[in-house]
Parts: sequence; structure tokens; C-alpha cells
Amino acid sequence: MRWSEITVYVTIVLALALWWVWVAASRLDRLHRKVGTSRAVLDAQLVRRATVAAELATSGLLDPVSSVLVGEAAWAALSTGTDELPADLLALVGPDELPVGGAALLAVDRGGIESELSATLREALDDPDEVAALRADPAGDELVDLLASSWYRAQLARRFHNEAVAQTSRARRGRLVRLLRLAGHAPEPRSLELDDAWPENLGRPGTRRGPVESAPPA
Amino acid sequence: MSADRAERPLRVGIVCPYSYDVPGGVQFHVRDLAEALIARGHTVSVLAPADDDTPIPEYMTAAGRAIPVRYNGAVARMTFGPVTAARVRKWLAAGEFDVLHLHEPVTPSLGMLALWIADGPIVATFHTALIRSRPLQMAYPLVRQSLEKISARIAVSEDARRTLVEHMGGDAVVIPNGVYVDQFTAATSDPRWTGTPERPTIAFLGRLDEARKGLPVLLEAVPRVLAEIPGARFLVAGRGETGPDEVRELLGDEAAAAVEFLGGISDEDKANLLASVDVYCGPQTGGESFGIVLVEAMSAGATVVASDLGAFSRVLDEGAAGVLFRTGDSADLAATLVRVLHDADLRARVSEHALEVVRQYDWATVTDQVLAVYEMVVAGRDAPVREDPSSVRGARLLELRRGRGESR
Repeated sequence: MRWSEITVYVTIVLALALWWVWVAASRLDRLHRKVGTSRAVLDAQLVRRATVAAELATSGLLDPVSSVLVGEAAWAALSTGTDELPADLLALVGPDELPVGGAALLAVDRGGIESELSATLREALDDPDEVAALRADPAGDELVDLLASSWYRAQLARRFHNEAVAQTSRARRGRLVRLLRLAGHAPEPRSLELDDAWPENLGRPGTRRGPVESAPPA
Repeated sequence: MSADRAERPLRVGIVCPYSYDVPGGVQFHVRDLAEALIARGHTVSVLAPADDDTPIPEYMTAAGRAIPVRYNGAVARMTFGPVTAARVRKWLAAGEFDVLHLHEPVTPSLGMLALWIADGPIVATFHTALIRSRPLQMAYPLVRQSLEKISARIAVSEDARRTLVEHMGGDAVVIPNGVYVDQFTAATSDPRWTGTPERPTIAFLGRLDEARKGLPVLLEAVPRVLAEIPGARFLVAGRGETGPDEVRELLGDEAAAAVEFLGGISDEDKANLLASVDVYCGPQTGGESFGIVLVEAMSAGATVVASDLGAFSRVLDEGAAGVLFRTGDSADLAATLVRVLHDADLRARVSEHALEVVRQYDWATVTDQVLAVYEMVVAGRDAPVREDPSSVRGARLLELRRGRGESR
């Protein structure tokens, strides 16, 4: 074999290897971006849900004990979920009550805190008659609707996010991917595990209205 | 509704893999979904295989003729090839969709092609509970990267989701197939098909010559039912090779007289038939991921007697909204039919509960859920669906390779 032939073969092999690396790297890049967006969407929905819960707690429509406990859980979720609270909620609680170092708390157990909010809300809405009474009030009806809508969207967003995380982790596990450090400095994505089981009395998930039985008379 | 909830109108591109020349469950689902979305003020374009001269609704784009191909143990009509790919590209570019909704993206047809070509907010719905994975496994490394472009996966039932989890890994949210429930509850009963206590009517709908639809199971039960209820009438609607002659051969003249073939019937007649009969029988033996016709029968007020497949017992609320029998067991079916036909209280109770159950399958509910998924997918992206540059490279590579092959 002449040197020119060898050069040709080596070039082909190198080109193929480079092409593979490029494909693998762009795949990883796409997956990391996907995880990033899905996480942002999930965070936004969880914050939305906690915001509605906080509004429900301060609406005076729940009994005092539920109000305090839901408020507490919602506040905990909001202070871990974001360092920038929605304007309407800020107006609600007053600016000086902002938790110190909101962003610094991000590392705490998000899943646990959101699960606690789910459990507290489920408990507060445990009685179908109670929910029907809430819905009898126009403001309460809207809050329950909003809670149902954000809860369902949070469930969806979490499924999609965890799915993206699983795909990314699978792609990162490849031997050559690890050897060549194709993932770069992108942190290993983590799935968000939390209890977001649907509260029975919120009606059918994803619908605009609650169950027909508990809807206010037209 | 609060301002929070008022969604902006979306531009939605829906891809249907199966030809509209031949009606089927996925096609009906796509049609109804498109119309439900349009009714909510969204802009929808459906890309589906269809002959250029097939009459299609104005929101639909024909992707070209579908060719019968043997795939997955059945002959399906698929569309593929470079001409189709070019049409998909053109459709994507012209549509500027906010979200692309693919149906059956692992069927080697339009959905898979569109997934390869597009990038952006993509939703995919998996309909089948029957992915025989061998051909897919061969192509899987090629398909997998495409599948990773899907932002949100929907399965039409718990069974379809399980198939997905087992065969391809990953998860999906369950959003059922939709039914326009009110069209069926409002259907009027037709004296031709209405049963009387002496002459109760039992309906069957579905392809006649496809064994898994279970017509043989029902036919075998006919003589046993007639032994108890001599006046019973069996109304069989649907297309297929099986006809009165086969039945006469199978059951003898006397029993065959109780089986009436209605042939293919219109949507309106279907609703009226289901509203008229005493019992709707779903004797399917497998491969069902959902059971839309059961929901239709329940909506119309017929008492459903169906095989105890996983998908069916879930739709029938574990037997509370319909009566289940052992799958494929004609003796059990006959006994169940006799019991149900003799017991008016049971029928009333089951049908009443069924009317509550079907609400979750109403398009009003299902469209809300699908829109929630769109919202989640669109929220994360600022750009609409566009062409995936890597698919262009792939196409050019193919051309290059073909060029090289010819010059050799």
C-alpha cells in the first residue's frame, strides 16, 4: 500500500469519526436544551399552582386551620420555587415578608416541599361538599378552576420533564460519550420526583369545569 | 373564564399516517380532533395520505397516494418516498406551526417522516397496544434520535401507555380518544332496530372478516342465546367478506335467520342503531387499545356486553358501566347475553352509570387535555416548528450515495 492510499483511508476514517462525534455532540446538545426548557416549564407550572394555593389560603373561603396550613405549604413551595415572586402575590403578602435569600434555598428538597403542598391541598379539599360550597362562590369557583388547571399542567410538565431527563441520561451513559467528555460542563440532569396525585374532588383533570354534580346552577 | 386561561390561538399541524381512502380509528380521531380544535378558534392543518382526487376537507393537505404495504402482520396503506418527503417539507414550511402533532410516529409512514424532517415543539400520540417490535428494533437506532425530538408523548389508553413503556422505554401521559358524546345521546331510536321484550336486539359493529374483532365468537353464541330467547335479533353492521351465506353454513338456516347484516352504515345510522338496540356486543379477542365503539354505544344508551380485555374493562369501569364476559368464550358470552336481556334492572343500572363514565371521553374534556399538552410544549420554546437541518444533510447524503452508486 502506498502512502497516498494510506492517507486517503486515514482521512476517511478520521472524517467518519469526526462526523460521529459531531452527531453525538449535537444530539447531546439538543437533549440538554430539551431538559432545560422542560424544567423551566415545570417550574413555572409548580409556581403557578403554589400561587393559586396561596390565593386560596388568603381568600377567606377555607376554614381557618386549612387556610393557615395551605398558606404555609404554598409559601414554602413558593420560596423554594422562585426568587422572583409574581407581582400579584407580592401585593398580597407585602414586600417585606420576602424570605431571605430565595435563590439560595433552591438546593432544598423541592420534591418534598411540593409533595407536602399536594398533600395539604388534598386534605383541605377532601370533602366533596366543601368543594361544592367553594364553587358556589364565584371567586372560589375561579380559584378551584385555576388550581385544577395548574395542577394538571404541573403533572403533565413533570412527566415530560422526567422523560427528557431519562433520555438525556441514557445518551450520556454511552462509553465514547463519557470518554470524550461530550457532555462538557452540562450538569447531569435530575428528575423531579414528587407526589402530585390528583385530588378526587377537583373534577376531571384538565377540564375547565368541575364535575357536573358540583357545578353551580346556571 | 379568567384571562389567565384564555389561550392564544395556535397554529397546529397534525400528521395522520393512514390513508383517508380507507376509514379507520386513527383517521376518525384525527378528523374529530382537528374539527374540535378549529371550533375553539385554532388554525389546524392536517397532512394525510390521500389520492389527489379523493375529496378531502379544506383543512387537509393530501400527501399523495398511499401504497398497500405488508407491515406488522397486516397490509396497511402507507405513504413514503422522496416525493412524499418533499411534500412534507413544503407543508411544514408553509404551515409555520406553533406545534406539530404526530400520530403513530413509529409507523413507517408520514408520521415518522415528518418527525425526521421537523424540529421544534412536537407532540406525538401513540394509538396502538400492539407494537410488534421486530421491524422496529432493526430500525430503532435510526428512529431513536428522531423520537428524542418529541417533547410530549400521549398514549390513548393505559394499555397503549404500557406497550410504549415496555417496547420503547419512556413514559407518556394518557389522554383518551374522544367521542362526541352528545351526538350519540341525542340519537333517535329507529323502529327497524328497536327491540321489544319478545324480540330484543343485539348489535355488533366492526370489520366482519377480521377475526380479532370477534364476530365468530358472537356467531357461535347465537344458537345458545336463541335456545333461551327465541326472538332475539342480532344486527351486524360493518364491511367485510363474511355474509349471510357463511352464517347459514355455520349455524344452519334457523339460527342464521336471527342474524341480520346491515353492511357498512353511515355515522348517523350508527348512532341511531346504537340508540335503538338493547345490547351492544363487543366480542373482540385482542389487540384493542381503547374501544371507542364501546364509548359510543354507552353514550347512545345501549347496554354494553364486552370481552374482559384490559382496555375494555377499564373503559367499562371494571364492569360497572357494562357487563364483561371471558374473552373468546362463546358459552360465557351466551350466558351473559341471556342474563342481561332477562334483567331490565341490571340494564338500567349499568346504562345509567355508563352515561356518567362516558363524559370523560367527550371531546369537550379531551380537547381541553390536548390543549394543556400543547400549552406545555409551546411554553418552553419561542420558535415555531421548523425544518431540522440534520434531515437536509441526511437527504443530501442519500443523494450523494446514490450518485456514487451509479458512477461505479
